[in-house]
Amino acid sequence: MTDTKSHDSDCSGSLEGRVFRPTSASELAEAVDLAFDYRGDVRLELTSGETVVGYLFNRHAKGESPSVEFFPEDDPAPRVIAYSMIAAIAFTGEDTANGKSWEAWASKKESERRAEAQRVEEDARSRGLL
Amino acid sequence: MAVPVSQMYTVASYVLSNKLRGVKRYPLVLMLEPLFRCNLACAGCGKIQYPDHILDKRLTPEQCWAAAEECGAPIVAIPGGEPLIHPEIGRIVEGLVAQKRYLYVCTNAILMERKLKEFKPSEYLTFSVHMDGLKNEHDLAVCRDGVYEVAVKAIKEALKLGHRVTTNTTLFDDANPDRVRKFFDEMMDLGVEGMMISPGYSYHKAPDQQHFLKKARTRELFSRILSKPKGSWKFNQSPLFLDFLMGKREYQCTPWGNPTYNVFGWQKPCYLLQEGYAKTFRELLETTEWQDYGTSKNEKCAECMVHCGYEASAVSDTFGTVSGFVRTAKLTMLPTSR
Repeated sequence: MTDTKSHDSDCSGSLEGRVFRPTSASELAEAVDLAFDYRGDVRLELTSGETVVGYLFNRHAKGESPSVEFFPEDDPAPRVIAYSMIAAIAFTGEDTANGKSWEAWASKKESERRAEAQRVEEDARSRGLL
Repeated sequence: MAVPVSQMYTVASYVLSNKLRGVKRYPLVLMLEPLFRCNLACAGCGKIQYPDHILDKRLTPEQCWAAAEECGAPIVAIPGGEPLIHPEIGRIVEGLVAQKRYLYVCTNAILMERKLKEFKPSEYLTFSVHMDGLKNEHDLAVCRDGVYEVAVKAIKEALKLGHRVTTNTTLFDDANPDRVRKFFDEMMDLGVEGMMISPGYSYHKAPDQQHFLKKARTRELFSRILSKPKGSWKFNQSPLFLDFLMGKREYQCTPWGNPTYNVFGWQKPCYLLQEGYAKTFRELLETTEWQDYGTSKNEKCAECMVHCGYEASAVSDTFGTVSGFVRTAKLTMLPTSR
């Protein structure tokens, strides 16, 4: 059954952890739009039985054969997947945009900001980027 | 004068050529994003919010050069992510300089001193250093203590080596106009060629954000900052864009003026919004629903006054109207007359 949560563009709350099982073309288009806007990996369950995990970076919703463009997490080459092949979309990856707005930062306590900044610095240092 | 005459001439002749040929949509600045990985996580930045395997993707030098040729813009800005992280940034820049395009490498300067040896000083190459204010304001904005001092040191070293250097400042709704003016003094005292300023933009992908720096507040803030400017301040921007920020001129956005190319392709419709991607620049121009975007046409555009959409509008006004040309000439010759 398709997730029935409000899909208003200004609704608060992340989609992380949610699963959509569209039962119509319009529900599928809506779920694909949400996956396109999502700043994390999603798991696509295909009608073939295959599942793919990765980042959905583009969609061509109009035309005779709507499709998505997808970067699998374990393959550098992008894949094109037809809407008709998508049975379900699960928002399995971390929502990297969640809590990252300017407002969210401004509302954090000084100690929380410092802790987050420290974590980011350590990550960059471990990658040799500093 | 902040920008070299050769660059001004190149841009002027390019814009006039397009206008005389009746070209409706032409690019002015290619926003070339060779990667999204960054070594900072600045508050509110929407450009780096991707899973790790996306942050690890890189455009090749060949892809960068081809995008610039395909687009044809005379100016190429190279933001990111942090472009100096790219292992082949030297080659990318070298190839674009060979195309005689004016490059702005947009960097937080953390790696700049270490990487300067990879770049040969050139009239075509400018390091545009991200500086959001005086030390306290900048380090707060980039969420790390000490970055301001690292950037100042890198700027001084780059200038010593003969590089062109500008600063790039994004102002949020907590900006103090007096402190910003003092910041301008400090940057010009460092010897930078010019400064670029812009209001921040609220990225829509973050689920918990609201609009910030609304237009009225933007105009008020920039009026207080830019009124009675000092003669020592040099801005690397159209004077008419600064007028726009102050509320003295109204423009419609020119999103095709600063097209964006990255690992996903050509971004629709602009540098800030991500509504889809095209495989080619022509496809971007021909398939984007341009009529759906702009101040009064889309709620995502309602509060936007960012340079990536409106600088091109201001440049077009300079060469498209008598009043625009006269005002540009006046403010270029007499910047303190604003």
